Amino acid sequence: MFTFSSLVQKAQSLIDPSASPSTRNSDGSPSKAALFRLQFRLPDSQTPQHEITAELSLSAPHSSRASAQGPKEKQKPQERGTTYVGKLHLSESFLCFSTQPTSFHHSASTQASSAFTGQTQGAGPAGNGFTLPLCAIRRVERLQTPNSLFALAITTWNGFTALSGKQGNSSDAQRFTVQLAGSRQASERFCDGMKKGLRDGVKEVENLKAVIGECYSEYLLSGANKAERENALLVNGVKEPPDAGLGMVFRYPGDAKKLREQSKMRLWREYLRDNGRNATLIRQPTFHKLIRVGLPNRLRGETWELTSGSLYIRLQKPRLFTDTLSRYSGRESLAIDEIEKDLNRSLPEYPGFQSEEGIGRLRRVLTAYSWINEEVGYCQAMNIVVAALLIYMSETQAFFLLSVLCDRLLPGYYSTTMYGTLLDQRVFESLVEKTMPILWEHLVKSDVQLSVVSLPWFLSLYINSMPLIFAFRVLDVFFLEGPKVLFQVGLAILRINGEDLLDITDDGAFISILKTYFSRLEESAHPKSENEKFRAVTKFQELMVVAFKEFAGITQSTISEQRAKHKDVVLDNIESFARRTSIRNLGPESKRLSMDDLGFLYDRFYGILYEREQRIQVMREDIDRRAKARNDNATELVTGIPGNSSIEIGRVGLGPSPTLMNYDSFREFLAGITRWAITDAPTSHKDSMSERASSVYSGHSGRGRSPSLSPWGAGNSEPADHDFMQRLYGKWNKDDNDGLSLQDVVTGLARVKGTTDIMTSISYFFDLYDDDHDGKVDREGILRISEALLFLTRRGLGGSSVPSSISIASTLDDGVDPKSSSADERFLGSISAFIRRCFEYADPDHPQNQSNNLTSSPNTELNISMDHFTIGDSDSEGDLLDLGIKPTLLQQFSPSNPSPPALPRRTSSLSHTQSKSISKRSANIALDPSNPLHITLPTFRMVILADELLQQFFESAFPASFHLSDHPAHSHSQTPLTTFSSPTPTVPAAPRGGIVPPVKGLRGVLDNIVSDGMRVAGEVRKRVDEAQREMERSALQRSETDLDDEEEKGAYGVEADRRSVREGDRELLEGEEAVVGVGRGGSLQVEEDLLGGMDAEADSAEKGRIEFER
Amino acid sequence: MADTAAAPPKPSSSVKLVLLGEAAVGKSSLVLRFVNNDFQENKEPTIGAAFLTQKSHLPHRTIKFEIWDTAGQERFASLAPMYYRNAQSALVVYDLTKPTSLVKAKHWVAELQRQASPGIVIALVGNKLDLTNEDATVSREANSGEGADAVGGEVAEEGGDARKISTKEGREYAEEEGLLFFETSAKTGVSVQEVFTAIANAIPETQMKGAKGPGATGAGTGQTALGSERVNLNQRAEGAKEGCAC
Ligand SMILES: Nc1nc2c(ncn2[C@@H]2O[C@H](COP(=O)(O)OP(=O)(O)OP(=O)(O)O)[C@@H](O)[C@H]2O)c(=O)[nH]1
Ligand SMILES: [Mg+2]
Repeated sequence: MFTFSSLVQKAQSLIDPSASPSTRNSDGSPSKAALFRLQFRLPDSQTPQHEITAELSLSAPHSSRASAQGPKEKQKPQERGTTYVGKLHLSESFLCFSTQPTSFHHSASTQASSAFTGQTQGAGPAGNGFTLPLCAIRRVERLQTPNSLFALAITTWNGFTALSGKQGNSSDAQRFTVQLAGSRQASERFCDGMKKGLRDGVKEVENLKAVIGECYSEYLLSGANKAERENALLVNGVKEPPDAGLGMVFRYPGDAKKLREQSKMRLWREYLRDNGRNATLIRQPTFHKLIRVGLPNRLRGETWELTSGSLYIRLQKPRLFTDTLSRYSGRESLAIDEIEKDLNRSLPEYPGFQSEEGIGRLRRVLTAYSWINEEVGYCQAMNIVVAALLIYMSETQAFFLLSVLCDRLLPGYYSTTMYGTLLDQRVFESLVEKTMPILWEHLVKSDVQLSVVSLPWFLSLYINSMPLIFAFRVLDVFFLEGPKVLFQVGLAILRINGEDLLDITDDGAFISILKTYFSRLEESAHPKSENEKFRAVTKFQELMVVAFKEFAGITQSTISEQRAKHKDVVLDNIESFARRTSIRNLGPESKRLSMDDLGFLYDRFYGILYEREQRIQVMREDIDRRAKARNDNATELVTGIPGNSSIEIGRVGLGPSPTLMNYDSFREFLAGITRWAITDAPTSHKDSMSERASSVYSGHSGRGRSPSLSPWGAGNSEPADHDFMQRLYGKWNKDDNDGLSLQDVVTGLARVKGTTDIMTSISYFFDLYDDDHDGKVDREGILRISEALLFLTRRGLGGSSVPSSISIASTLDDGVDPKSSSADERFLGSISAFIRRCFEYADPDHPQNQSNNLTSSPNTELNISMDHFTIGDSDSEGDLLDLGIKPTLLQQFSPSNPSPPALPRRTSSLSHTQSKSISKRSANIALDPSNPLHITLPTFRMVILADELLQQFFESAFPASFHLSDHPAHSHSQTPLTTFSSPTPTVPAAPRGGIVPPVKGLRGVLDNIVSDGMRVAGEVRKRVDEAQREMERSALQRSETDLDDEEEKGAYGVEADRRSVREGDRELLEGEEAVVGVGRGGSLQVEEDLLGGMDAEADSAEKGRIEFER
Repeated sequence: MADTAAAPPKPSSSVKLVLLGEAAVGKSSLVLRFVNNDFQENKEPTIGAAFLTQKSHLPHRTIKFEIWDTAGQERFASLAPMYYRNAQSALVVYDLTKPTSLVKAKHWVAELQRQASPGIVIALVGNKLDLTNEDATVSREANSGEGADAVGGEVAEEGGDARKISTKEGREYAEEEGLLFFETSAKTGVSVQEVFTAIANAIPETQMKGAKGPGATGAGTGQTALGSERVNLNQRAEGAKEGCAC
């Protein structure tokens, strides 16, 4: 055994010389760390650093002679001390030992392990051993051993609050030895690691002192008997017993005599005296036995804290509770409302919760927790559980225990979808089916749903199913052994009542049998037995025996396996329920869309949010691999529940997922259901339209355009960003939230798509541009509308499923269908005419100011249009800017040339382009602020109706451009647009230039007409105050990079990159440190040196600590 | 408990009834009032669901209500299908002093209409009438008393009118959706009995289950708390067979 393990150690030292956790996490074996933490109930920050086989020797308990030994305590050779062989583990701030090589977790075993080969099922500290915070170690000595093995004598701070005076004689100090059984090298490394930990631990001694000061055991052991204790109180200043729950004031539930409080207390006092208390406790078989028979009231809270590991979290952040309360004091939340509702409704029969004192404690614990875990917030049943905890522990203790419950012991139980609860119900059912097939079959036949009764058992830990005193006994074991206990007890209940249950035919009977059973737990299990001993066995005792003996085979890994097996079904069910309900509750507007459309929108909406979340997660993961946040992959392995697993985060079934769509998600959403919302030029093209547009129009832009990490996900085309989309977003976002809810989107779409009435459609469009809702759209607005029309139709009119540029191209090439292309062409003409008419019929804001150049706006000279053409051609911003601010140019526009733009023909497309540009240019003239003008809705309507194509656009094309369920959104993932990260602009649908490269022929011309027209429209307005915006923008961008997390949700690569770099730096540094530490240790080659060093280290630490103590 | 097999003088049948509604609107209190004629100021929130039975004696028959009282908090909603499956009647409860609770009630009505057994009898109940002083024709003293059940009058709270949802609003909605409608107080007992009696009367005899629900046999296999699709299918099947099953 020793040779084998030393081999392992050697192999490890070769594979993983630094043993730094950062390297380990990245190689994809995070489960070890989680298993390790679960085994020893350590905080999430802990990772296994070193592991070595060792022998733990405990000296004979000195008190065994002093006080009368309980007859049951006949364990092992007590006089000579006890020895355990097991594994010694070291984490950043804990030294742990366990003998338990219990059932192996399969999935974990296969992974390359570096520092934790622990054979555990995540069941908790069931083995013998200890979980010792390094700060609780007072001295480490290296002992001389004949065989030159490493043997360390460890002295702890056990009871140091009580021992500060003369009382602390050496025999009182807790001292034990561990003999390391690894290779010398491994042992040395272990010791080095420990030295470092000990040094770091010095800072935490203060915390330790404060934390254990709240442990009742300290008070209990401060004197052997009452007289002595009183004496001790005077000496040590331990005046008042620490808060051991409301029970101290309002009495503990149950009859103390019946519960045999006194003898339990005596046994515990002995045990704690011999084996250390709270932080320094060593688990021996008696410990487990004492827990099985029920904890004494005053030690109950403390022991729960210890066995669940919440003590260690408290040790790390002792002030988290009070800090949280004060930080959020006065703040309100939904959770708080819900909590308030239930405060008076928590264990109301217990007197403590009829008092302000009890209610106040409950309020503070629940409220504080709802702040630190907003994902859970508050779930009914938590009030009952916390109320129960508060009977036995202080608020602070209950707070930390609650967080251990929610995070580890009852994963997902109290989440907003309660998937954990539902999953475990499913697991429970399948365990019943396995272990009690006949009963199961009967339940199925009788159509009785098991979870109807069992769900409250799990959700409130039997607290409101059984009489309190019994529920607490279950809890005693539960905190020690983990969630499997809930299953074992549940199975035992069914087994014991099996025969009666076989007679039932409906839920009602089922429930009433169990109700009766629970109410009689106190009674004899064998009332008719001859044997008095037998008769004395209560039903509850029987239950415990059945649960832990008969169902001993139900282990944590059983549960994990089952959870993994059923997880998907449960999540799917939750999601389909959520889908169904939320579609139904979308409000009256939603009725205008078909059920299929609604379903489609739901899937699409959450699909996008989910995918985005995933992408963000993946990026984050890259970034903070080593972050302290719980390692969820590992949690999944252990619990079988995907926790907040990166793989599925954001999944609706897992609880709070994002429910609001920000502007970027909205773009993505639109890109999925319309063709016009896909960008022409992916951002990897430096000069893309969307980038320009966004940088000009939008505050959302500029958030980083690193093509390395796609914010849109692989295989998705990049959405465009256009003023129109922003307006749509703004309009749909009625309540000005942080984003659109599904309801907003549905309502929005229902208005657009659910109506075929052209008038509604027109006024809807008009409203989009009537910024101040005064029924007028000004010059700027008219321009924007025409821009939008161009934008929306740049891929063609109508809802044909092939992007128009392609269809046009092909029709042109083949000469098959010239009509469709000419329709698109003609539309350009229509827009041109639209602008002209708008200005024609516009009402001047100030008639007296109306200048003559307005009346003739749509007309220009050819030379100017040529001029403009160059503008369109040019990619240089300077040019545009230059042109834009040249007032002289504007003056050149001939104000009175009434020639209307030529009707666009295919053959005349060039001239059309010109006319297009011209009209833009003329609009530009109209931009003259001294001539304000506006159109009203009737005017707008008239202008639209005057043109057949525009009319058609509003009547059908625009609504039809949104493809919902009937036309499943074309899978744009197949278009070449998706490969936007590819550096070469191979995309035909993404023309950028103005002048047509000759090779492209006519089809190129058309493409360019469209995009050029749009560019022109864009540039025209851009020029108005480009310079100023430029400045603003750069300022904006600068500040934006440092903006809040909210912004980061946009999942832009750059932001992510930046963080990853920072994080990476830190990681590197830390890694360095670890390496340095190890290197130093390794260089100490002479054994004596090491010895001396070790002692010196310990001594200096000790000095530090003693100072601390004063 | 399986007393349904016995044949009392009057024809007896059982009706499965489910209570739905926002947290703390008083579902459990209504049941407690109906079953035990009692009221507890601080009733623990229902975890998952509670099950109770109570007989209701009608002139010509006796009806045994099998009552499923569910948890009201939003996140428990996904459990509800497990409780309302096969239910012949439902009490959708809101709190007259809390506008949000009516919104929630409407959601429940919609869900029931779509997902529960076809022909389910739904009663909309506005509870906590004692907190309002509408038609405060009755003496104030009645408030403190235990209030004999089914006293016709309304009672006023000293603090004045806390009503936020008018009778009209509730009634109109109920009429629109074809629901029974009541305003009750679990605290004083006003109208509580009537709700159940009205439901009993509204359920056609053919819908009653003699012993227990037919259909659904074997349906329990391996379903989770949430076999929504499945439940739906069953109910349809059952609805079709209902007539001849008993
Ligand atoms: N004044 C008044 N209070 C009531 C009435 N009915 C219930 N309450 C109070 O409202 C609170 C909630 O009552 P419950 O019956 O537990 O509510 P519930 O709907 O079952 O709540 P959940 O189980 O959480 O869904 C309790 O404090 C009751 O005392 C009523 O008619 N009048
Ligand atoms: Mg209730």
